[in-house]
Amino acid sequence: MDIQNRVDEIHLKFNEDLKKTKLNGDFDNLFLKYFSKSSGITTLLLKELPKLSAEEKNKYGPVFNDLKATQKEAIEQAKILHEIEQVSNPLIDLTLPEKPAETGMLHPLTQVIREMNDFFRYYGFSVAEDREIETVEYNFRKLNLPEDHPATDLQDTLFVKQPDILLRTHTSSVESRILTNNKPPIRVVTPGKVYRNETANKSNSSFFHQYQGVVVDKGITMQNLKATIETFLKFLYNTDIKMRFRYKYYPEVSPGMGADIQCTFCSGSGCEVCRYRGWIEVLGSGMIHYNTLKMCGIDPEVYTGFAWGMGLDRLVMTKFGIPDIRRLYGGGMVYE
Amino acid sequence: MKIPLIWLKDYIEINKTPKEIAASFTSLGLMLDKPIENGVLDLEHRMDRADWLSITGCARDLAAFENAKFKFPKVHKEKGKEPTKESSVEIKVECPDLVNRFNTRVFRNIQVQESPEWLKERLEAYGIPSINNIVDITNFVMVELGQPMHAQDTDKMEKPEIVIRRAKNDEIVKTLLGEEVKLDPDVFVLTQNDKATVIGGIVGGESTGVDLKTKNIVLDAGNYNQTSVRRNSRKLKIQNETVLRYDKYLNTELTQIAIERAVELILELAGGEYYENFDYYPKKKHIKPMTLRHKRIKVLSGMEIEPPKVRKILELLEYKILDEDKKGLTVEIPHFRTDVEVEDDLVADVLRINNYEKIPVTLISAAPPKEITKPVYKYEEKLRDVCAGLGLHEHITDPLVAKNDNDKKQVVLENSQSSEKNSLRYSVYQTLTPVIEMYRKQNIKKCGLFEIGKTFELNGKGENIENYLETRVLEVVYFEEGMSPYNTSLNIKRVLGRLLKDMGIQNYYFQVNIADNKTGKSSQSGNNDNNYENKSLIKQEELVLGELKYDSFTIFTQEMLKAETVNTRIKHDITASIFEDISLVVKVGSIIGETIKAIKDLNSSITEVYVIDEYQDKKLGENKKGVTLRIEIATDKSGAASVKEKILEVIEKNPDIEIRT
Repeated sequence: MDIQNRVDEIHLKFNEDLKKTKLNGDFDNLFLKYFSKSSGITTLLLKELPKLSAEEKNKYGPVFNDLKATQKEAIEQAKILHEIEQVSNPLIDLTLPEKPAETGMLHPLTQVIREMNDFFRYYGFSVAEDREIETVEYNFRKLNLPEDHPATDLQDTLFVKQPDILLRTHTSSVESRILTNNKPPIRVVTPGKVYRNETANKSNSSFFHQYQGVVVDKGITMQNLKATIETFLKFLYNTDIKMRFRYKYYPEVSPGMGADIQCTFCSGSGCEVCRYRGWIEVLGSGMIHYNTLKMCGIDPEVYTGFAWGMGLDRLVMTKFGIPDIRRLYGGGMVYE
Repeated sequence: MKIPLIWLKDYIEINKTPKEIAASFTSLGLMLDKPIENGVLDLEHRMDRADWLSITGCARDLAAFENAKFKFPKVHKEKGKEPTKESSVEIKVECPDLVNRFNTRVFRNIQVQESPEWLKERLEAYGIPSINNIVDITNFVMVELGQPMHAQDTDKMEKPEIVIRRAKNDEIVKTLLGEEVKLDPDVFVLTQNDKATVIGGIVGGESTGVDLKTKNIVLDAGNYNQTSVRRNSRKLKIQNETVLRYDKYLNTELTQIAIERAVELILELAGGEYYENFDYYPKKKHIKPMTLRHKRIKVLSGMEIEPPKVRKILELLEYKILDEDKKGLTVEIPHFRTDVEVEDDLVADVLRINNYEKIPVTLISAAPPKEITKPVYKYEEKLRDVCAGLGLHEHITDPLVAKNDNDKKQVVLENSQSSEKNSLRYSVYQTLTPVIEMYRKQNIKKCGLFEIGKTFELNGKGENIENYLETRVLEVVYFEEGMSPYNTSLNIKRVLGRLLKDMGIQNYYFQVNIADNKTGKSSQSGNNDNNYENKSLIKQEELVLGELKYDSFTIFTQEMLKAETVNTRIKHDITASIFEDISLVVKVGSIIGETIKAIKDLNSSITEVYVIDEYQDKKLGENKKGVTLRIEIATDKSGAASVKEKILEVIEKNPDIEIRT
């Protein structure tokens, strides 16, 4: 066949193929069909050039090259055009909303604990955890609460085996374990579950969560306690909150200290939220009791320390707008 | 503790508003508990200070705090008439271990009548109804001074004596409220001619009660064994103003002051003659002096308080200064401060009256100590992130569950109020799966949930704490509406595979239905779980990492820490891989996990081995299934060329597997 005819035929065929390809977008395949090293139609044509006579070479060399260049450029351009067309597909309606992609969510309590842990890690605290089934020794005695002490009434205990084995009533049991098993300096926070013998209702559940902190070192004073709590509460609420520190009794500390923040709903004038106190009690604290340090094997004449503890559940409920504690723990809360 | 302001102002001159007074009480340690109503402050009592169950006790602290004058009420110090045969009521105590003091006086020819207005007003504001002047005086003195008192009509007594003894088994007392209470020898009673008239320290009986016809009375103020009153009142389920005070630590001295105060009021309001009577007081309680070092105030508060100020505060709180030098003071603790245990309690008193607000704020300056966070805590935090990344939602469920009679190892509570929550969970599966129901109710058609928490079991005798095992687990459950258990199992395995890979764990395998007794993890079973039979252990070598069920898996986080891990998922040498698919016929229930592990171990050119197809077909034979494995081989690694033959050799070693292709 005449060489020019073949060139025309290939060109014609290519144009047809290009037309089809514009519809299906498979430009890579089209490229391979014409330019694959072993079997490309245009490649095979070009391979014939050395076999031609010198006169034909002069004549068809530029034709072949022209064909190759035209086809390559046509593919390239069509490809770009195709991409533009795809992106500007009228089916793409950026104003139509779609269902959001799904991801997992951490429990609100976990989120709050993490925030607090992050804060305290910055100040050099470790995170500690321990048993939930505890002994009376670690839950009460080492915390300066002898048998039949009136203050036992502050907590209704769930017993596993009376009189010695119980479900911890507070995270202070972790404190007594930490103090017993470690030498000062000590700086830990302990988030964890605690249990009380209470009937479940909107705001009480037989299990809930506390967050406790313990510091023991030489030269630790109430000034450090106040500073730690002040910094922490500013972090937790905001820097503008008003705080109040007052004496409060807890068996495991002396002097004991309660910390309140001014009610943000009524700015201190008294409302339902703060039970007309003007202030909201946020945590209990104090200098670790002389007897507690002694019973845990730390010399209270050499070391001093402080501890504080707070309930987490109400804080989490307020933060996430959950009205009932039972919902927080498996009883009617789902994530979208 | 309820404080009617009108009553409070009998002992302290103060011109502040109720709100300001409440604020001062709150600073002192008596936080306002309820809104102020009708001039009554309701203050939270923290169970420590017995004297804070008296209005004078609260007033004394407030006066010290406000620098106001504290006026102690008028008491009758003069002794009564010498007892006569006619007046005398003999006191016999047969249980000296339970009675520390029993202080009595006798009044004759008194006039029982309605109380005057001021007395009624105060009692009613506190919440005690007025009965008659004598009963009201005993109640008034109890609230005023914190010492419960009791008056009996001696003419109603069959014999002029009160015998205090342990109750007999099933002995019955009819209380003032008309209720019959059955007793036992743990309880002590005041008796009349061997008939119990009063449950000691708990509640009075009706038989010798004072009424308008009463002329002659015996008045008592007792001090009893606190533990006994506390335990017995709880056992008898009796709570009242008397018990409230007797289950705190009261000092025996208080009985005398209360008697002197009551005498003053009885003579004023009921007239008559008053006689000395028995004061059973075998052993006077000695209060040890205590030293307060100025240094200690500085050690605890970081600040110095001038010695004269320290002295003044202690004196205002009625500590008697026995000695004073540069270093500090030695004091006698007032009898009503039974809460003071250690020197630091004196420091607390000084700082409290000085006002906590005056303590400066100083951040800790010392360098932080070595970190002691347990690795498992950090590990679980990472697990949480991985789970959330896998689209799983975290929930926290109540570890308290109903008792399962089939489970002998379950930890059961002895005193739970609810039969639905009288035990601890043995698996998180049992408390987490019900949450799926919440999602279904919300019309959410698929969900994967996880919880990181503890499971509990008792392995041995219940007296030993070491026998209570707490296992930390990650539980993952998966649900998709309309999906078959088989397809659910594939999903759960994909989630598990991704999780293990993200945690850097390779070379794990599954072992069907073989309980691993060595680690004791077999008891994780949960006997009432539906798919108990179809369960597989997740293992690496001999280590049990967890358990897999078709719709859930459990990971033992402590065990995961022991597993061999590779650090990263990041590949640096990007090379072409080829896939080698091998079809197998496998006996159902056999352990092919170990064979897969052996393939992976062949050489470094094998990067992944996983199942791409799993099917059942009659042609394969009974109890057999087809499994297609895909093996990814990195072509540039040494050994890649001859690896296929070696793979086949490994597979042939397992008698439970035939190679199809």
